[in-house]
Amino acid sequence: MHEELTDQPQAQPLDADIVCTGFGPAVAGFLRTLTQGLQKPEMAGVESKAMPGLPPQIVCYERADDISFGVSGVVTRARAIRNSIPGLDPAEIPLAARVRDEQLIYLLDPWGVTRRPAWMRLADQLCRAFSGVLGVAHEGLALPWVPEFLHKQDGFIFSLGQFNQWVGQQVMMSGLAQIWPATPVASPLIEEDRVAGVRLAADGSEVRAALTVVGDGPVGAVGRQLDGHFGMPAGHRRDEWAVGMKMVIDLPESCTLEEGTVWHTIGFPEPEIFGFLYVHPGRIASAGIFVPSWMDSPVRTSYRYLQHFIQHPYLWRHLKGGRLRSWGAKSLLESGRRGEPFLAGHGYARIGECSGSTNVLTGSGVDEAWLTGTQLAEAVLELLREGKPFTRENLENTYVARRRASWLERESQTAERARNGFQWGLLPGFLGMALAGLTGGRLSLPRPREDRHPKKLADYYAGRLSRSEIERARRRAEAEARPLHDILMDLCGWPPVEYDGQLLVSHQDALLMGGKVQAPADFPDHVVFRSPQLCLQCEAHLCVEICSGEAIRISPENPAGVPAFDREKCVHCGACLWNCPVSNIEFCAAPGGLHSAEN
Amino acid sequence: MEKTLVLLHTVDGQVPQAGLETLGLAKSLGGEFDLAVLGAGAASAAQQISGGAAGVLAVEGDAFAVSRYATDAAACEALIRASGAPLILAPDTMRFHRALPGVAERLSAAIDTHVVSLNSEGAVERWYYRQRIEASLRRAQRPWILLVEPGSQPAAAPQPGAAPEILSVSCDTRTKIEGFSTPLAGEQTIRPDAPLLFVAGAGWTKKQKDGAVHVEEAANLILDFVRRTQCSLGSSKSLVDLSGEGQAVLPFLTHLHQVGQTGSSPRHKKGLATCCHGEEPHVVGWRFIQERRAINLDPNCGWVRGKADVVYVADAFEVMRELLKLI
Amino acid sequence: MPYQIIVCGGLAPDPLQTLEPVFDPARPSLKNELMLPAVFDPWAAHALYEAGHLARQHPGSVVRVVSLAPKAKLQQVMMTVAQKLPLELVALDGPGGGFTDAAAVAAALADAIAAMPDLDRSRLLLFGGWESATRGAGAVMQRVAERLGITEQFLAVDELSVEADGSLLVKERIEGGRHQISRCSSPPVMLAWATGNLPEPPNHPQTGMANMRVIMPALQKAKPVALEPAAEFLRTALPSVIRQTRVVKDVPAAEIAREIAEWIRQ
Repeated sequence: MHEELTDQPQAQPLDADIVCTGFGPAVAGFLRTLTQGLQKPEMAGVESKAMPGLPPQIVCYERADDISFGVSGVVTRARAIRNSIPGLDPAEIPLAARVRDEQLIYLLDPWGVTRRPAWMRLADQLCRAFSGVLGVAHEGLALPWVPEFLHKQDGFIFSLGQFNQWVGQQVMMSGLAQIWPATPVASPLIEEDRVAGVRLAADGSEVRAALTVVGDGPVGAVGRQLDGHFGMPAGHRRDEWAVGMKMVIDLPESCTLEEGTVWHTIGFPEPEIFGFLYVHPGRIASAGIFVPSWMDSPVRTSYRYLQHFIQHPYLWRHLKGGRLRSWGAKSLLESGRRGEPFLAGHGYARIGECSGSTNVLTGSGVDEAWLTGTQLAEAVLELLREGKPFTRENLENTYVARRRASWLERESQTAERARNGFQWGLLPGFLGMALAGLTGGRLSLPRPREDRHPKKLADYYAGRLSRSEIERARRRAEAEARPLHDILMDLCGWPPVEYDGQLLVSHQDALLMGGKVQAPADFPDHVVFRSPQLCLQCEAHLCVEICSGEAIRISPENPAGVPAFDREKCVHCGACLWNCPVSNIEFCAAPGGLHSAEN
Repeated sequence: MEKTLVLLHTVDGQVPQAGLETLGLAKSLGGEFDLAVLGAGAASAAQQISGGAAGVLAVEGDAFAVSRYATDAAACEALIRASGAPLILAPDTMRFHRALPGVAERLSAAIDTHVVSLNSEGAVERWYYRQRIEASLRRAQRPWILLVEPGSQPAAAPQPGAAPEILSVSCDTRTKIEGFSTPLAGEQTIRPDAPLLFVAGAGWTKKQKDGAVHVEEAANLILDFVRRTQCSLGSSKSLVDLSGEGQAVLPFLTHLHQVGQTGSSPRHKKGLATCCHGEEPHVVGWRFIQERRAINLDPNCGWVRGKADVVYVADAFEVMRELLKLI
Repeated sequence: MPYQIIVCGGLAPDPLQTLEPVFDPARPSLKNELMLPAVFDPWAAHALYEAGHLARQHPGSVVRVVSLAPKAKLQQVMMTVAQKLPLELVALDGPGGGFTDAAAVAAALADAIAAMPDLDRSRLLLFGGWESATRGAGAVMQRVAERLGITEQFLAVDELSVEADGSLLVKERIEGGRHQISRCSSPPVMLAWATGNLPEPPNHPQTGMANMRVIMPALQKAKPVALEPAAEFLRTALPSVIRQTRVVKDVPAAEIAREIAEWIRQ
């Protein structure tokens, strides 16, 4: 009974035992393992320190409006997930299926518009010349072999949103943990060398806890603030990223693709952009691309590239006539082990993508994230059982030690230098990846002294567009409030996208129909440009070009050159953050964003 | 066709249009029917339209002159029991919608509301999920009360007939009707008799091409248009929500204006939607608008494509400024 | 006077989601019904916010939500609802879709309310939405109230105020964009709310944490409810009206205005 009801309860500190930031696969794995473990007989005597007499108080705060709102193209071997959930039946989880047919597809350039290096153009010519022998059809070549390090043949296709919801419901039904959606965490509570909990963005409440579990993803506010405060281990940095953008598509009746089909693609819409297509149960497919940070294009628009990707003849024969169900985008931290922060400290531990667990060689992150969560849960159960505090030493001896002894560590070492080659160029990139993958990481290419960065527009388009053409395009983009990349791609011969109102829709409609993007009215803008002066000096405005929701744009009425931000279009992918060449963007925690449970 | 009771109420001493429509539906079924009328002047109103009815009943008197659950429920229960017809048709007015579900409970009857058609095989059609899914269904249970959606049926021509038997009904209630109020928004709400519905979308309050918001001008353009054309004013939920949250945006909009999934689906001959880009859930708000036009910056918007007759790809501010010069 | 405010409310698919029917004569449903993210029914949510507001004005009042929905979904949705205002929960674990029967739902809700050990009809305000966003029938609340013996009922309520003498002044929506104003001398009453006038309260994590201490146990002991089909469905379908949309673009605003003015005059 609530005897006293006040309008706005005072923001008193809340006390918990364990507080988690972000509900993704890592925290899902953590909470599921932890709540199951707490129900075992040997844990019967463990009680809350925050609320003596009760079981440990475990809370999780998720930024998005529902625990099922997330984005990932998930095809996974699910080794860790299956280890946690023996006998996992995909039929229990909407949109989940077993992988049945996995192929690596080389996509030719059907329109002669991509920026292929000479060797790749030659490869296209050879493919066309020997199409009968090689089995080239529909401008694509199914390679006879998927490298061992890439294959997912024994795995599953998931919708991350549905998987998260499925696990989240189990966790909450245990009654041992609470997962609060629409509750962004503004910052960690750092007291000298320890983390004492978190501060919530909504009302500034402090939630104090003996252990703060940080799993808020690659651009999460808490993880980034910890890195800022505690620094990174020597030699570690976060300098490789990608934007993943996907569509979930209702396949047309005529489509013959079978459930469980998995295609990984290379070669199109630009040679640097990898793509995927997975077929879920119920005539539904996920298709998407990854636009990497080492792509030197300064007009790295994901949405237009995604539209061309699905229209590649090899895919379009199956997708034409389909309907957009869902759409979304996210940043991927591709630095892998090199981007690994301090995994544990006094009162906190890092899990999931923000802990550098994504494996860029195998193209796998969800299962790895899950594994880190389960490893931390086992460690926490051990410490609770033994009555030991969550100190750095104790967490390192339990959680970090488990992680270092697992396949995750071995594979991330293999992958650590696998992408060095891409910093030299495309061909060295593929060679370096193959070298590392096939030798188990024993051989790899060295990393150049200077990383590859987006070029200046004039340099990138040298030989294709003149400076004056680019300048005219820029003025036109500003006058028409259109993205510059659209105009430049038109000028370079990319075919116009003919909207059909079903699958090929404007970027704005993708936000509305597929992403259902929302922004609550009572939060301030979460993307802030720190110094207008720096924006004024910026030529590229990569933040505008990369923005997955067209939420950042140059306003013609704002000659100062400071981009305008419209949070009602923001999908919280965080790409602006790592694309800003001068780190001038503040990306704060906020609710809202995508309202899709199918990504 | 089983026997039907046509249950109506009066408004200002007359059976309203919605009642004549329900009577029209009953007559179109071709079976035997009773007529029962409730409210002020019920006996006289019943006699004016009772031609063709097998039995005619009425409840009138001061207690039943007003629309109130306790008295309406008692009267309707008495009328339905007196008729004994297994199938009861009544107009889905606010008065009956309030009273008849509870009456169904008292009679152990089934009830369906928002019925848009009934055929002689006893299959009714109605909407689910806020007009997003249509369904046809049948029930074995009797009595079965059907509330017929106003505007969905042709009205019967009044045909005088026998005078009704007047039932005496008594009922205690703790509720008194104090009067009526018209919301502050006054003339600018949904008015069923207006020929045109103007829908203002959230785009009016968003940053325009110049990167700034122009709420004051938007408000003036909209109100000026509504006053001059005497049209109904509807709005999308997001716009209404913004107003409710105390932001300085179109403060004259209330939830009474809301059309769409969580608002109303008014029936008008014409509808003009403006700045509703992407607010597809609110398309249901103009499901019953016959002629639909939209002013929108994006022709591919889900709000208009395949759902409007004409979409003008233009800046609504500019068009409305010009339009106000002409009307 | 402190009130016992009971708010009946189910779940509805997040209004932004695309819905597709799956036909079954006895139990039609939505495609991927369990997959769709759910929200607390928007109409019932308005009733809940009004209940919270009233409870704050009348100290000692209690807000109790009675909800019939699949338990796991309800748990998920309550994590958001519980952050809005202090409340207790009575959970019924059963199907929550739009094609369930209003009478059966009403019976289950009324039974759950009647079984509350401390139910005090002299302080009882029974709240709900005037329709659900799923079934859209507007028939449940009246039936619940009848089963509880409440004969003072109001539909499409936008405002409730408690007068100095304890009487309740109620504004109900009626046709023509107007309100009817009634005065009811005392509880128990049933108010089926339209939208009311209150905005959605912002999330308040502290309130949520406090609520969970009673909500979690309530969810654990949610009583299973089976709803028997009462109607035979012949068809469920999406409305199939597709219009040929004429797109007018690259035309000066003045010309568009002329065309629209002409159309309005016709």
